[in-house]
Amino acid sequence: MQASSTASISGADAYANHCAICHGDNREGDLPAFPPLLGINHQMTDEQITGIIRTGKGRMPAFAKLPQEELTALLHFLATSSTPPAAAGGDNSSQLSEAGGALFRQNCAFCHGRDAQGGETGPDLTRSKLVRRDVGGDRISEVIRNGRPEKKMPAFHFSQQEIFSIVAFIHEEQAKAVSRPGGRRGVDVSDLQTGNADAGRQYFNGNCTSCHSATGDLAGVASRYEGLQLEEQMLYPRDVKSKVTVTLPSGQQVSGTVAYLDEFTVALRDAEGNYRSWPISKVKYKLDAPINGHVELFSKYTDADIHNLMAYLQTLR
Amino acid sequence: MKFVTHRIALAGLASALAMLPPVLVSQSLDPAELLHPTVDSWPSYHGDYSGRRHTHLTQITPQNVGNLSLAWAFQTDQTAQIKSSPLLVDGVLYFTVPENIWAVDARSGHQIWHYSSPPTTGDHIGQRGVGMYKDWLFFTLPDGNLISLNAKDGTVRWKVEVADVKKGYWTTVAPLIVGDHVIVGVSGDLDNLTGYLRSVDPETGKTQWQWDATPPAGTPHGTTGGMTWIPGTYDPSLNLLYWGTGNPTPVLNGNPRPGDDLYTCSIVALNPDTGKLVWAFQVSPHDTHDWDAVEVPVLVDGFFHGQPRKMLMQASRNGYFFVLDRTDGKSLLTAPFGPVNWTLGVDKQGRPIPNPDKEPARDGRFIAPDEGGMTNFRSPSFDPKTGLFIVDAHPSYSIYFTKAADGNYGWAGADYGLWGKGVIEAIDYKTGKIRWSHEVGSGGSGAGVLTTDSGLTFTGDAYGNVLALDSENGKTLWHAGTGAPMQSSPISYELDGHQYVITSSGGVMFAWRLPGSSYAAKGSAAH
Repeated sequence: MQASSTASISGADAYANHCAICHGDNREGDLPAFPPLLGINHQMTDEQITGIIRTGKGRMPAFAKLPQEELTALLHFLATSSTPPAAAGGDNSSQLSEAGGALFRQNCAFCHGRDAQGGETGPDLTRSKLVRRDVGGDRISEVIRNGRPEKKMPAFHFSQQEIFSIVAFIHEEQAKAVSRPGGRRGVDVSDLQTGNADAGRQYFNGNCTSCHSATGDLAGVASRYEGLQLEEQMLYPRDVKSKVTVTLPSGQQVSGTVAYLDEFTVALRDAEGNYRSWPISKVKYKLDAPINGHVELFSKYTDADIHNLMAYLQTLR
Repeated sequence: MKFVTHRIALAGLASALAMLPPVLVSQSLDPAELLHPTVDSWPSYHGDYSGRRHTHLTQITPQNVGNLSLAWAFQTDQTAQIKSSPLLVDGVLYFTVPENIWAVDARSGHQIWHYSSPPTTGDHIGQRGVGMYKDWLFFTLPDGNLISLNAKDGTVRWKVEVADVKKGYWTTVAPLIVGDHVIVGVSGDLDNLTGYLRSVDPETGKTQWQWDATPPAGTPHGTTGGMTWIPGTYDPSLNLLYWGTGNPTPVLNGNPRPGDDLYTCSIVALNPDTGKLVWAFQVSPHDTHDWDAVEVPVLVDGFFHGQPRKMLMQASRNGYFFVLDRTDGKSLLTAPFGPVNWTLGVDKQGRPIPNPDKEPARDGRFIAPDEGGMTNFRSPSFDPKTGLFIVDAHPSYSIYFTKAADGNYGWAGADYGLWGKGVIEAIDYKTGKIRWSHEVGSGGSGAGVLTTDSGLTFTGDAYGNVLALDSENGKTLWHAGTGAPMQSSPISYELDGHQYVITSSGGVMFAWRLPGSSYAAKGSAAH
């Protein structure tokens, strides 16, 4: 197709003439070599996109002589939203999942394993409740975009289409894992049933009742958590927040939940939800962190203690 | 090219420095300079062959470090975190993230050139940096290719495959240059693969030798693994190359590979000209917790129990600190540097004895440290003045699982970290005792450590603060918040009469120095 140099040309035609051969007819790309361009306007400014079009990048040639009108139309076209990905079935979705698999292997596999079944430090996504409840990426995309900083998962700045492809891959791997007997890694509830509940109750009464009660805060805990999640919460309930009381030079005291603490700054949220922070050099502070009771037990547990405690806690339904 | 004679005034220069000849200003590194790097360079990953990451510069002191300020910051405008140790050669900094190299003018903080490879397959978990030999840089890509580029402009001279990504290998290592050898290590423990170290010709990339850490996959009762992904160290007088090897595969299931699993989780001494093994010390016999022993093998000459010794020290992932005699690999000291609960003690050869009851199991085993280990790729530093080995440690706890259904391949199980924190620890190498420690945050810090002759320790905490500590007692003397935690190790060099400390965090490179014009202190040395 020839580009007209005088008549105005639509952005879609400009794309079809110059870009589609590498970036795909529907801007879906061809990973790993040719990135998808859907949602590119969320990743880059018009200036940045123009820079790449004009000067090229890596294997992409430069389009230094592209007329400004055509470039403007092309930029508008690239900013239009995509048509939603094809429904399940057919070439499009397996292509999507394949593209997602390539991205997954480069960026996720180190932690989550090549087949999403868990790897170095990263959980088995095929057993994840969040993945099971996810529809079309509505939950997974948030985790990918924001990361899980408290669990050391970084945030990833993928385009919408890249995220769709990774989501498709994860769902496909989950489906495969469910249908593959005996080939799964990860921890089943049935794996964690080697303890003795009576011994667990004795351990609990000897070590945990200064803070916890089987009929109080832990009543029904086994209905809220099960399996590995219950064991992890039992050993270290990482989401529990600590409290802090800060004494100002005036003598006034302010209390709240810890919002931030390093060696230079202490910050809290007070009962009204206000955020307040102070330089540590100017104030005194006292932490109230009952979670440290869990940390103190780390050096004391035997594996039998842990299995017995699990057996006992699972009776608290 | 110009011939320029530098006259540089520096305060309190150590007398051990060589006089600089008239300097050829160019993007070129004579390999002989790697034997005696001058303070105006940082010509390799560790700075020098010892791995001590200790600078003789003393312009920045405990008294004036409170005034340290930002000279410039370089933004890479991309999201991968910088994990590389930059090189500084003739006023140009070279550093990397996967598939990318930047050459930055260390005076202005502005880009000279930027190389970006076309997208590659392979794991993009990190990139440790480039090696330099004469006019050429050497750079590994995630897909197992080694490329050689012109240091002047980043154009590619050649590309050779050093590892087969289709089998499951990937590469992140910064190549180490020893004489006319470009030495490259490999990665890959998601598959059962032989780990190896390869030396290639700097002009052509052709293989000179390869040392395999483990036998071929499928060897009866043999193991695979032993990856080599952190640059080693080198003793020119002994002509020995020291390198750490990674964990065995399958990772969490030790049953298919009974015995010690040599030479995984080991410190090995190789002849750099032939690749032949001279001695080996195994840090974790029959490891089942993914505790690579690739951490920096730091070379220190000093006294041990009254005797002068050529030593090698490693603070290892498994939670133990090792001091070896580097002439023969014999153990001098083995001591934990944080909570460990997986051993039955230390044997007569100085190796930890793994407790079979602490191998991963179906119903889980509670293990200290976690899989990330008591330390990891971040560099420690040895300070000769205080005799302290300073390391960013990670006391931590985790649960490890494996069962028959997990199979014999790759990870073969699952592990879950529960809790950890970061602590900078100053270990007295003669006793293994920790003389001071400085907490650096919940979750742990990824920052490496640099020490200076003037008594400063540079590192970072879990919250993005760069810290200058007093090497005697660990007290904070200066800090700056950089907005992202450090995942690399600091370097230092002298340029235009200023001492610079370079740190990176997130995608930004920071250059720190004392403000004001060049110092010309009394009694300074000129060269």
